Amino acid sequence: MISAFIHKFSSPKSFVQITKTLYPLFIFTGLSMLIIGWTWGLLFAPPDAVQGNSYRIIFLHVPAVIFAELIYFFMALCALMHIVWRVRLAAYLIKSAAPIGAMITFIGLFSGSIWGIPTWGTWWQWDARITSTLILFIMYLGILTLHGSFSNLEKSDRLMSILVVIGVVNIPIIKKSVDWWSTLHQPASISVSGGSSIDPSMLYPLIISVIGLGFTLISLGILTSRSYILGREKNKKWVLDHV
Amino acid sequence: MLRLIKIESSKLFYKLKSWLGPMLIMILVLTAFPLSIDISQFDLEKFYFSIIVVSLLMTSFLATEGMFEEDFEDGSLEQEFLIEQDFYKVVLSKIFVYVCFIGVPIALIGAIFSVANGVAIESFVSVFLSLSLSNLLLFNLFAFGNALSINKGAMLGVLTSLPLALPVIILLGTAIRSIQYGNGFLEIISLMIGMGFLISAIMPLIISTALKTHID
Amino acid sequence: MKLISAQNISYKINEKMLFHNLSLEVYSGEGLHIKGGNGSGKSTLLKILLGITSLSKGLIEYKNQDLKISYLGHKNAIKNYLTPAQNLQLLFGNASLSNAFEWLEKLNLFQVQDELTANLSFGQQKKLALIRVLAQSSELIVLDEPFVGLDTAASDLLNSFFVQKLSEGTGLILTSHIQPSVECQVIELDKANA
Repeated sequence: MISAFIHKFSSPKSFVQITKTLYPLFIFTGLSMLIIGWTWGLLFAPPDAVQGNSYRIIFLHVPAVIFAELIYFFMALCALMHIVWRVRLAAYLIKSAAPIGAMITFIGLFSGSIWGIPTWGTWWQWDARITSTLILFIMYLGILTLHGSFSNLEKSDRLMSILVVIGVVNIPIIKKSVDWWSTLHQPASISVSGGSSIDPSMLYPLIISVIGLGFTLISLGILTSRSYILGREKNKKWVLDHV
Repeated sequence: MLRLIKIESSKLFYKLKSWLGPMLIMILVLTAFPLSIDISQFDLEKFYFSIIVVSLLMTSFLATEGMFEEDFEDGSLEQEFLIEQDFYKVVLSKIFVYVCFIGVPIALIGAIFSVANGVAIESFVSVFLSLSLSNLLLFNLFAFGNALSINKGAMLGVLTSLPLALPVIILLGTAIRSIQYGNGFLEIISLMIGMGFLISAIMPLIISTALKTHID
Repeated sequence: MKLISAQNISYKINEKMLFHNLSLEVYSGEGLHIKGGNGSGKSTLLKILLGITSLSKGLIEYKNQDLKISYLGHKNAIKNYLTPAQNLQLLFGNASLSNAFEWLEKLNLFQVQDELTANLSFGQQKKLALIRVLAQSSELIVLDEPFVGLDTAASDLLNSFFVQKLSEGTGLILTSHIQPSVECQVIELDKANA
């Protein structure tokens, strides 16, 4: 029954059709929330008691690292669907999401380095969290390189899915690293349960930036996956009708 | 499975550069490092261990490079598939042989060099055990990377397997620290033994799937 | 006795259909000759029949799960860094090793048995690879272009091997541009695709 449900909603054709209407909505929401969040955070939020104005990079850095991991989780879910239920769309989505994940991880690393200079006096620190994020970036590169290495695309999809599922073990290590090793990084400031140690005047623009970036990245994903799907399925009748 | 171990041992034995090469590289790096620094300036004892760990990582990677490439290229993989119907036993035998013939000797070399550079002789067994177990984990993980990249070269192998290997290195570093400071070793080594069993059992399954995808 | 049957099999790769709704059967003592132009999917069909490659649609049935098949494809599955003698020792257990060395002699490879396989000629390597099939007892023999690189003497040996095996009840499936001397049912892949 699950199999039937999945196959009903996972045809590349229906994905392309549904996203046609979703895309304008997502991009508008995403960009407007980003603009609001960043304007608020960069211009109107008060300076930090300890870090002064240099903390403002968190409005880029924190959303970036959150989505660096979330995109990988999404890819792992798709990979599982591809391996278990042979859903082709899942493989297409992994291939489209990977470059976006790589890009946002790089932005996270880069913005973290910029933040490090005024805060810790160093642009790089070999602590667990930063190193794990670097490993995540390398994993994204590995996934992209792997898929591009084989001419048989179905084989590439399958191998890529295997690699993604194996690599997902790295994500909890990133999460737990702050607890496992004593590091330079501050402990997680936002937690799901209980209060956070960030002042609301900084927290709200941060949350808005996170949501805004999320929608923007989803729109980007929709754009890339639509063109990729059309390319992969180009011999199908529905593509010829669509284009 | 004994048949497979015999075959893999014979193959590895005849390919001198596959097993002798990594050992010589390990010896070379461990010898070259002290020669490249001013020993009077540094306390060699304190960080020689790190050199051993890095050399171990490098030589493990080199030793497993192209592990499945030869069998894939000359059609032996297909033949094995016809006999066994899957690759689990093939992979298990291959990794077992590699660990025995290359992994353990490399760990021994590392342990000997560590004792020669300030580690107490009583810790020799602990060091050897830590290095051997790390090699077991690394060989499994690098075999996975090689199974994915099969004949596409070292770059793909590095990108796919190094992210998986680094946590093993962190684990090894923790084990070595516990040897140096004399506490917590038993816990770490138990963790490594457990992980060793788990990964040795599961990894060949995943590698088998990857290899099947290649010959498909 | 039916050794292997394929029912309505189709195979697609990179969105290109290689063959569609193909059916065939091979019985004991029967030969099947698969013909077709370059790139028509002969080697792929063999691999599908062997279960190495997964088919897109259809069903393949074997006489039983333990059907003993010997196969030689385009790749020789021999180790270039070993000698022919070492290769045979790796391939065969003690029981069939003497038979394998007999074939080594029949194929004029006895003199070069201790030379590195890498130094042998293409034809000699092919002959060595064929011993895997010649010296092994099996119920079904599957060969992909077995005559390529063989001299006349070896080709004749192979043909008489086919005759003998078919009379013993072994099944045979082969692809070849050269007509084998045994009588086989024929499948033409280019025509099957149409």
